[in-house]
Amino acid sequence: MNRLSNLSRAALRVPPSYVVFAVLLVTLWAMRPNLMNVAILGTFARQVVPLGIVVLGQLLVISSRSIDLSAGGVILLVNYLISSGLLYDWPVCLVILLCLGVGLSVGLANGLLVGKRRASAVIVTLALNIILIGLVEYLANGKPPGDVPKYFRELYNLRFWTLPAPVIFWFALAGLMSAFLGRSVFGRFVWSIGSNPISAHFSGVPVERTVVLAHTICGLMSAVAALVQTSSIAVGSVRFGPELVMNSIAATILGGVVFGRPALVWGPFVGVLCFALLFVVMTTMGVQEPGKLIAQGLIILLAAIFYGVRSKSNS
Amino acid sequence: MIVALACCAGLAFSTAEFASSQNILNLIAQAAPLILVSIGQMIVILVRGLDLSVGSVVSLTTGILSLNVPVYVSVPAVMLAAAAIGLLNGISVTTFRVHPIIATLSMMGIVQGVTMFVRPSAGGMVPPEILALVSGRLLGIYMPVIWVIVAILVAWKVVHGSRFGLHLFAIGGGETAGTFGIAEQRNVLAAYVLSSCFAAVAGIFLAGRIVSGDPNIGTQYAVDSITAVALGGTQLAGGIGSLHGTVIGCALLAVIANGMNLLNVSAFIQTIVKGLILLAVISLQPRKTIGL
Repeated sequence: MNRLSNLSRAALRVPPSYVVFAVLLVTLWAMRPNLMNVAILGTFARQVVPLGIVVLGQLLVISSRSIDLSAGGVILLVNYLISSGLLYDWPVCLVILLCLGVGLSVGLANGLLVGKRRASAVIVTLALNIILIGLVEYLANGKPPGDVPKYFRELYNLRFWTLPAPVIFWFALAGLMSAFLGRSVFGRFVWSIGSNPISAHFSGVPVERTVVLAHTICGLMSAVAALVQTSSIAVGSVRFGPELVMNSIAATILGGVVFGRPALVWGPFVGVLCFALLFVVMTTMGVQEPGKLIAQGLIILLAAIFYGVRSKSNS
Repeated sequence: MIVALACCAGLAFSTAEFASSQNILNLIAQAAPLILVSIGQMIVILVRGLDLSVGSVVSLTTGILSLNVPVYVSVPAVMLAAAAIGLLNGISVTTFRVHPIIATLSMMGIVQGVTMFVRPSAGGMVPPEILALVSGRLLGIYMPVIWVIVAILVAWKVVHGSRFGLHLFAIGGGETAGTFGIAEQRNVLAAYVLSSCFAAVAGIFLAGRIVSGDPNIGTQYAVDSITAVALGGTQLAGGIGSLHGTVIGCALLAVIANGMNLLNVSAFIQTIVKGLILLAVISLQPRKTIGL
């Protein structure tokens, strides 16, 4: 009996993303066995790299009991900066630095308002998102921006062996984040705030500073994601904010990180891969846009309910 | 409050049209849906919740109403659907302890998906009965004014004039409400159901105004209603707030939007101003805990 309950508890500790990923992989294998090769799956994975990078930041803020809804706005602004032609005669490094700077400052603003002013994270990041979107639309005056410089495209289409360069970059970034969280003092701080912010505070963890830093890193990640997203589309696009933010939260939760649970990188990483597969499976099944929205919502809800039930059974 | 009066005075002087009776009636008709949605939002916020799905409920309502079905079928159907959505939100928040943001965010996605099944793009016809309910006059009073007054009276009774309302404040106030014999779960459920139903009523009103269904018409209401509620002095941490504050918050937002329209400010700048207002209001509400 005791052994059985231990086993079931261990099973519950596995992030739901692993299970969903396995199920999706089997479904795809049963339906379209010819899709199961590294080159094709790599191409599918490449499509979710921007999402995957946003998730790397999102999992940091979510495990420090905050949230970031401003990624869409950052991506829009960076995309506009690169594709509008304003910076055509600037050197590449400078453009990239400027874009990263945009992400950093948005993240810092989020962090200061949430951490120091103690304003509600949802509202702060939502408001900043609105401001950024309004700013880009004002600057672009409703018109879609122009072309993305060629070197961005070439970088995006690069392949090593059969794996696309963006996928490798994402994997490396995730590994870096994982090592950073596992080894650094900052990682420990995030973990302790995640499990209990009050006891973390009384144990001498600088809660405010950690939250500010987590938000800043998250903003930086949004900017990196924006660079990848921009290189993925030949022309500047105007709309992809809302789904991306919603998916990033979904993948994070699916990966076993919810408000007040320690940050782990690989669960959400697989969560993002789930989304890549889910889109493929649903497209092959002929599910349209509305069906995809419903499926996404259901996945978030079910994953969250799963945690709710689990945390109850633990207590 | 002072800000609102100052805005009105400033606008009355700077543009000739602002103080005209036609414009003020327009203003009320423009603000009515936001007032309806915000009242529901406030009820949920009072119990330390948040409802991000109100916008898609508004869209779904206009979608269903535009399906060319008789009113005595579609209106009850809409209200039932809204109540069911609210109930599901409430159940995931209370029974399954899902965070309100996650629960209502996923519900927002689901309802938006359903809406796009029902009505993929804007169009359709809304039954004439609903049109009659929204435009025209009753006893010499414009219909939108009546909608607003009825909604405020109903909400006043619910929030400030009933035992249920008192319990809302108590639950939002602290963890201890349960120990004083207040059925927390049931009241929170009711709050979410009410929020969805108010959003559906707003949808009915909007359907009558635009005379068709639109799957995207509700998108702005989630954020706008939160802004209005916060602007009206309700603490997003729960437990503190008032109906008149919320109504004034809505009125202020409507006045600002109306004024910027009259002054020919670009729609994109208006978005930025809205975001800045939200940011400013929320930064003036420091809380004990860091986070959501």
